[in-house]
Amino acid sequence: MTEYKGKHMNLFKDLSDLDYLRLNKLQALIYDLFKAIRAIPKWFLNIFVSVVKYIRKFFTYIKEEFVDIYTTFIYGDWKTRISFFVMGFGSIARGQVLRGLLFLIFEVVFIVYMCFGGLHWLSKFRTLGDTYATTVYDPDLDTYVRVDGDDSFKIMLYSLLTIIFIISFIWTWRINVRQNRIMEDILKSGKKIRTPKEDMQSLLDDQFHKTLLAVPLTGIMAFTVFPIIFMILVAFTNYDAAHDGYSNLFTWVGMTNFNALFSMNVGSDNLSFAFGEILSWTLIWAFFATFTNYFLGMFVAIMINKKGIKLKKLWRGILVLTSAVPQFVSLLYISKMFANNGLANGLLMELGFIKDISQLIRFWGVTDIARAMVIIVNVWIGIPYAMLICTGILMNIPKDLYESSQIDGASVFQQYTRITLPYMLFVTGPYLLTSFIGNINNFNVIYLLTGGGPGNPALLTSGGGAGDTDLLITWLFNLTTGAESKYYLAAVIGIMIFVVVSSISVVVYNIMPSTRNEEDYS
Amino acid sequence: MTKKHMGQKLKNRLSNGFIYAILIVVSVIWLFPFFCLVCESFRCESSHQVGYILPRQWGFDNYINLFTKTAFLTWYKNTFIIAVFVSVIQTLMVLTMSYTLSRLRFKGRKGLMNIMLVLGMFPGFITMIVLYKILSGMGLTGANSVPGLILVYTASSAMGYYVSKGFFDTVSRSLDEAARIDGATRFQVLTKIIMPLSKPIIIYTILTAFMGPWGDFMFAKYIAHNTTSGMNVAVGLQNLISTPSSLTANYTMFCAGGVLVAVPITILFMSLQRYYVEGVTGGAVKG
Amino acid sequence: MARVKLTNVKKIYDNKVVAVQDFNLDIADKEFVVFVGPSGCGKSTTLRMVAGLEEISEGTIEIDDVVVNDLQPKDRDISMVFQNYALYPHLTVFENIAFPLRLRKVPQEEVFEKVAEAAEILGITEYLNRKPRALSGGQRQRVAIGRAMVRHPKVFLMDEPLSNLDAKLRNQMRAEIILLRKRIDTTFIYVTHDQTEAMTLGDRIVIMKDGYIMQVGTPDEVFDHPDNLFVAEFIGAPKMNTFKADLVFEDGEYYVKAFGAKILVDGEKGEQLKKQQTKPQEIILGVRPEHIVLAKENEGIKCTVRVNEMMGSEIHLHTVTDDETNLIVRVPTIGLTQKQRNDLQAGHVFNITFQGKVMHLFDVETENNLLK
Repeated sequence: MTEYKGKHMNLFKDLSDLDYLRLNKLQALIYDLFKAIRAIPKWFLNIFVSVVKYIRKFFTYIKEEFVDIYTTFIYGDWKTRISFFVMGFGSIARGQVLRGLLFLIFEVVFIVYMCFGGLHWLSKFRTLGDTYATTVYDPDLDTYVRVDGDDSFKIMLYSLLTIIFIISFIWTWRINVRQNRIMEDILKSGKKIRTPKEDMQSLLDDQFHKTLLAVPLTGIMAFTVFPIIFMILVAFTNYDAAHDGYSNLFTWVGMTNFNALFSMNVGSDNLSFAFGEILSWTLIWAFFATFTNYFLGMFVAIMINKKGIKLKKLWRGILVLTSAVPQFVSLLYISKMFANNGLANGLLMELGFIKDISQLIRFWGVTDIARAMVIIVNVWIGIPYAMLICTGILMNIPKDLYESSQIDGASVFQQYTRITLPYMLFVTGPYLLTSFIGNINNFNVIYLLTGGGPGNPALLTSGGGAGDTDLLITWLFNLTTGAESKYYLAAVIGIMIFVVVSSISVVVYNIMPSTRNEEDYS
Repeated sequence: MTKKHMGQKLKNRLSNGFIYAILIVVSVIWLFPFFCLVCESFRCESSHQVGYILPRQWGFDNYINLFTKTAFLTWYKNTFIIAVFVSVIQTLMVLTMSYTLSRLRFKGRKGLMNIMLVLGMFPGFITMIVLYKILSGMGLTGANSVPGLILVYTASSAMGYYVSKGFFDTVSRSLDEAARIDGATRFQVLTKIIMPLSKPIIIYTILTAFMGPWGDFMFAKYIAHNTTSGMNVAVGLQNLISTPSSLTANYTMFCAGGVLVAVPITILFMSLQRYYVEGVTGGAVKG
Repeated sequence: MARVKLTNVKKIYDNKVVAVQDFNLDIADKEFVVFVGPSGCGKSTTLRMVAGLEEISEGTIEIDDVVVNDLQPKDRDISMVFQNYALYPHLTVFENIAFPLRLRKVPQEEVFEKVAEAAEILGITEYLNRKPRALSGGQRQRVAIGRAMVRHPKVFLMDEPLSNLDAKLRNQMRAEIILLRKRIDTTFIYVTHDQTEAMTLGDRIVIMKDGYIMQVGTPDEVFDHPDNLFVAEFIGAPKMNTFKADLVFEDGEYYVKAFGAKILVDGEKGEQLKKQQTKPQEIILGVRPEHIVLAKENEGIKCTVRVNEMMGSEIHLHTVTDDETNLIVRVPTIGLTQKQRNDLQAGHVFNITFQGKVMHLFDVETENNLLK
């Protein structure tokens, strides 16, 4: 056995479990790495296969829908057939008056809207308007007055609403057709159709989810889904302060904005450079912000949890206090505390560490110091939360694990590395991921501490004045609120943040050991 | 034997002493900024930043100025109104969403959760550009920011259902089933069984929802759009010290404002800390 | 009156897993039926379909000739006791038991009476004001039963109600359920994986495996005449010995040849074989441990003791024959001298035999009982 030194290890073949266990740590690592690399093509294949499967499923679904609609029409009775054109007719004719009327009203509203607005907006959607606002001389007022032209923003907004309206109409129409079929089936089998009262009652029982979700989902549709779709469209336009849609039209520019972001040209107005700089700092920041908090938080939690430490509640309370104070108070205060003429420098001068103004530590003025500072201050902000999370899990680690390892002869340090840490990492995998993503989008810490600074001359023109501690999210904010208001660029960056976040999530979810099953807890 | 035993005890005492030392240092570091903040808020001799902590002249000047010279009261009122509405509406939204996803099984449930997961990966702020236009069209920005902000905070708040769903998932499903067999409708299951059992998570949700608006800066600044009367405390106080000259003039006043915001929130928070801790340690990991 | 009738009931989960296959059963009024089988056999799923907690994929369930497929649980007039008790932690014992009555808006006076009556029967009157978490497992289960019985349902469903209790308490509760059943006198459906519970409680036992019903019958029937090898091995403890053997027909009589011994199939079983004109073939032979008796030296089958399990009133001997077949033999201690007991240790060799009338003969292919 001892002769086995992995000479026969073939990196391109799977080892049996027993052979794998014979490998030493390094060999195992190399083997695992190769195995992971070998798995990549299969991984992509799987993605491809599942995408194809979904597309096929989608088309079969569409096909089945059409077949179903067709058979409903062919085999349906006259009430059903009329319902194809007058929505809700079948329901009214079969006694479900209220439901039928709702269908009918929806159809009427839809037709009226399409005639008196919808079609108008849709017709301009391709160009986003062609009539510019002008001024003409008004003899009555003896001055030039503005004559409104098209408004690109409104065209886009209403067109999108119209498209959503059309889709929901088609969907409702489909429900209307299906309802007819279901009612026919029920009547054929000799059962009774539900009365309106029973319908209402079922909304509190077997259809309860519809009742509960109605308001939250409407809110999400209106305030998240719709704006996101809108902003994805904006990313393909030249919408900014100069082209605000009202005084000057904006229009479709295709992939131009994305091309600018990925262009390899070296130039003063090189957006791809700025994006690369800011993205890499964002990722570095997120990494450090997440893991410093996590490990230090765990460290503090372990200290407080140790047997024999008194006043546990007090220590915890002191730390939790910082999460109670609204972040803007603590962050703004600390920001000023470390300003050039702030308390920190003042105290250093008072104590004689700094002799004169030239020696002042410019905490926020030097790139490296500023970057280190935001991470340090973030530790101050973030440890309490991480500590609470870790405390909860630490208390859940079965005590007998420690007792049995103690009997097996493990030292305190070994207990930490062999039991506590693996357990924590296993359980907190999802938390680490959310926390990492949260840090990518951590607006408050950066904006309130440094405001993105210190400014980076290289990014002055290319990045719209972005600084060295700017994250994608603060950059996005500045682009939107700044004088130029490059909405199109903000939209592109928003999409890029999504791409970054989603790819990280996909990768992490695939390698994370704790595949959580929600049913496990019930 | 006894010697070794003594050694063990001594070692333990030493390591505990070491831990106490660290904990004390940590506590000092964590409390230091707040201590300074409070001290500076009572400083009367100067309004700019200085290099010492204890004021040479104590007094309430900054607090008085805050109410007489700035719109602090308006900001405070705005934030409070927003926080109250948000805590009520958001709690209802989040709890219904998480209850539905945890307890009810219906077609499209998994799909819905996936869609919300994907939506959550977009930075929330990009929705603001179009929302701002729409809200300003409705007259809900600038001076009227309060209802606008309430809408912005609460409308999609159901997407933050993870923590409370994690909690609901831990409530045994056989309780639902037992209640349904005992004759309860799903609605009665919710009101008579799940709600009473979910007190910690309900308080947690209310607490976090209430505290959110006090700390929000990004949305509030964008919606208020430099209109003093529409700001919340965060934007208003930041506005006080946003330029070098205003910083010199208003610094201690800002400190006073910070204290006035932090104290009630902290008291509220500490009194409900038990539920917060329960929510974080219970739900967050499972979420 | 509560007759429960399941006709061609099937349960198919979304992922196409079939949990229950074509289940047909007619449960008479006031009958106590036990569903028993290993975990995953579909017994709980079937019960939950009766309760209305699972949708019925195919077939119909009728309670008193009314199809209940589309009825909500609350409209089926059933009650159920869960394995983990499912007591409402925030309510007192009294309110737990009163819960179903409260939902039906029963007047306070009547609620009090009924809860008090149920508590009296179950002996939990003194705990009425406590919360469930202050109770022991057995007391909790009583509360759960009280909650189920307080509204006098048509059908009483119990889903492994004793599984979470320790062995001693389980025996005690089992006896109490038998008494309770006499008092309530309604239709019971009881699910368990424990064959002892099934045998002691059930008027009829439904033995299930992989979603199929293996046999339905009274405790006597399933014990004495198992339809197939699965039922034979599932019912009875220690489990029945089964091994390959040959059925031969010589001189007008059937014999079984096993381990070199030839045993006459006599009595009813022999007659039955003759009537069926079963052809001689290889079979699986089943003999219960308690039906194996010691034989004289040089007679019967030679076994070597491997493990001796002294149970007190009897000894379970795990033995092995010369061709490495494991046989369990149950020897009552009452007839043994101390020396005989001492002899029966590991390594001891002795001879055993069994009578033809206690043998169970199964087809090798279908594993069904050869006797129809």
